[in-house]
Order: sequence, then C-alpha cells, then structure tokens
Amino acid sequence: MKNIRVNINGVAYQETVPVRMLLVDFIRETAALTGTHVSCTYEGVCGACTIHLDGEAVKSCLMLAVQADGHEITTVEGLANGKELSALQQAFNDQHGLQCGFCTAGILMNMTEFLDKNPDPTDDEIRHGLVGNLCRCTGYVHIVNAVRAAAKSRLSEA
Amino acid sequence: MYPAEIDDYQRPTSIAEALAAIAGCTDGDAMFLAGGQSLMQAIKSRMVRPNCLIDLQSLPELRGIDLSDGLVIGAMTRYVEIAECESIQPAYAALRDAAARVGDRQVRNRGTIGGSICWNYVASCLPTVTLGLGATIDLVSAGDVSRSVPAVDFLIGPFETAREEHEIVTHISWPKPPANTGSAYKKCGLVTDALPVVGLCVSVSLGPDDRCTSARVAVAGLLDGGQLVPAGGAALIGSDGSAESVAKSMDAVVDAVETHSDKWADANYRQQLIRTLGSEVAGSAFARARSS
Repeated sequence: MKNIRVNINGVAYQETVPVRMLLVDFIRETAALTGTHVSCTYEGVCGACTIHLDGEAVKSCLMLAVQADGHEITTVEGLANGKELSALQQAFNDQHGLQCGFCTAGILMNMTEFLDKNPDPTDDEIRHGLVGNLCRCTGYVHIVNAVRAAAKSRLSEA
Repeated sequence: MYPAEIDDYQRPTSIAEALAAIAGCTDGDAMFLAGGQSLMQAIKSRMVRPNCLIDLQSLPELRGIDLSDGLVIGAMTRYVEIAECESIQPAYAALRDAAARVGDRQVRNRGTIGGSICWNYVASCLPTVTLGLGATIDLVSAGDVSRSVPAVDFLIGPFETAREEHEIVTHISWPKPPANTGSAYKKCGLVTDALPVVGLCVSVSLGPDDRCTSARVAVAGLLDGGQLVPAGGAALIGSDGSAESVAKSMDAVVDAVETHSDKWADANYRQQLIRTLGSEVAGSAFARARSS
C-alpha cells in the first residue's frame, strides 16, 4: 500500500492505495468519478479511459494510481465550466457527435488537448488524432464534424 | 484486466537512488518503469510479474533532446517530444517519422524512446530506427560505472537487449552528422499507426557529385525483430537517388533478409512492402540529404 496525493478537477484526494491499483480504478471507484469509462478490459486500445495528466491526454488504464502521485488530473467532469459546456462538448451536442455515448468521454479528453495543440486542424489531422479512440456506433463522421465545428467556434472566440 | 499483486513502488529522484533501489531488490524481482505503455500491458497479462516497480519519471537528467554536439536524447524522452522537435537534423529525421506514428496520441504522450528500445518488441519502430541511424546506447550502473554500446550490439533480439538488470539506459546518442546526410522511416501496419508489418529506415550521405557515399538500411517487422541490412546500404552506394537505382538496392534488401508469413502478411507480400516502402523512404532520405 502507498499513500498518494492526486488533484482531480481541482479537488485534492489523499488516499492509501494498493500498488497494483490502476489509475482508472482510482478515478472511478475511489474518487467516484464515473465519467471516465473502461471498455477494452484495460488493454489500452480503446481510449475510453482517456484523461488529462498535467494537461496531456493519456490512457488511465495504462498507469498505476501510484504513478499519478503528485500530479494534476482532469476528467470529463472537469471540462465544463459550471453548467456551461466547453466548445467541444457543445459541438458534440450540436453535431450529434455520439450515439451510445460510451466512448465520448475519452474522445472529448483526447480532442480537447488535440485542439489546444492544433487549433485549426484539417480533417485528416482530426482523423489521425482520433486513432486512439474506438467508436463502434458512429463511423466517426459526426465526431469529425463536431471536432471541426469546435475548432471553428474556439477560433472565433479567441 | 488487473495487475497481479505488486509489493513495492519506488520513485527515485536521482540516478544514484534508482541504482540503489534496484540493488536493494532480490534479483529478478524488480523492474524499471519508464512510460509504461508496453510494460503495463505485459504486467496485466502476467507476461511479467515484478514485485517491485522503480518508476523513472522523476529523473530530469534522463529527459530532453540535446543538439549542441550531434544528437543526444534522454531515455525518458517521450515520443511526442521527439516527433515535435523540428530542430532534429535531417540526418536523424527518421526518428521523427517513427515517433510521430507510434500507437496513438495518448501513447505518444507517455511512451518513451528508452522504454521502447529496452522492451525491444518484435515489431517496433524505434529500435529499428536506432539500428538504421547507428545510435549509441549509454548505460550506467552502480558506482557510477558507465558504458556505451552500439545499437546493433544492444538490440540482441525480440524482448532481449544487452542491458543488465541493474543497469539504466540514460541516453541514446549520435555524433554530429556528416554534411549532406538525410534519413527517413515509414511503416505499413494493419491500421493507422499500428505496429509495423514491415517498416523501413534508410539513411544516406551524399558526396559532392550528389551520389550516395555511405548508407544504412534497417527493416522492422521481421521474425527476429528489427534488422540492420548491410547489403542494402552497400547497394545504395553510388546511387543518385533515381527511382531505378533505389529500386535496385531494395531488391538487394529483399535478397538479404528472410521474410516470414503470418496472419497479417505472407512472405511475398512482405517482400513487396520492403520494395515499395523502401523506394519511398529512400527517396525521402535523398531529398533530406540534399536539403541539409
């Protein structure tokens, strides 16, 4: 067991956890933030568990909770500002960028950081950015539309 | 899938501390943890079962890209940092080609070059590129004992390297490149950025007449992992980079390596991939050498 301190969405958590506990389980079960999803039986291929670690998109099933000790984490619950959705969240709503919604949290986390780094992407760049997130419903067309719309709206606000 | 029980986790803040940590563990019981993008999968699947993990994330001396004298990349430098480093010399640009296409964005944000070459997965990009670019691997062990090993001696075979259990890879380094040198890497995988079914790394140096004076070729995705193919490099010498002469040298690569059949590609298809990718990659390497 190890004692760790992690900030998630600005809230400090100090807990004693088994070394083998995955970060995604710490987020879902210890911090009770269930917006971060688990899909591929923790193999690191589906991207549903994507979070931000110190601002960068990573898969929380490929990390132990103890590795996150001392770091800042943002989950999908931390994207909106109160009731005001982020530009990307709003665009997913407007463009119908989801069907069942299971993969959506991971895609929002990955593509939020993607747009921070590449504010005016081409469709090819958006599709390349989505490689680490599996969606079995949509065929990605509406997801790409939503990311493109979010880029436009972020640029017009900037 | 959950990891099996792990007794201990340590996060040293200096190389000396990291070496002391592994010395304090029973042989075979502890593993160094870099970015964890391969190791965590192996731990979860019980392919490896360490009782202690020594996390190298807090060793700043293992991070970063130094271009002041050749190229020195810290072992804990992540793919994303290599892919985005525009000042890497054209001679070593194959590193950027490879790093920009490993896994996916999330993996590139966390996976490291040192982790990749130490894991030395059978189908992987960075080990092959270190072969193709003639890297030197710098290691350190207890008592501040350091040694440098050429990549071709370091990468013994799939999942096997010359690193001893108590050694840490600190840097991957290259000398200042000769003038008019360029390199490139490209792979073909089943889906975008997947593991290489076949990958090609080509590096060329050009003489005053614009013809190749020295070259190296390495192939990823072979049964024994990434391989340096000296016959391929030799066949490029004298080439002006024309499609015809480059194609001839790729025929030499195909003759020199043994391709295998598996569920992803049969041996003939792998040979065709070597020809097609190799010609394209060699073309990029020549173009970069001319622009350097």
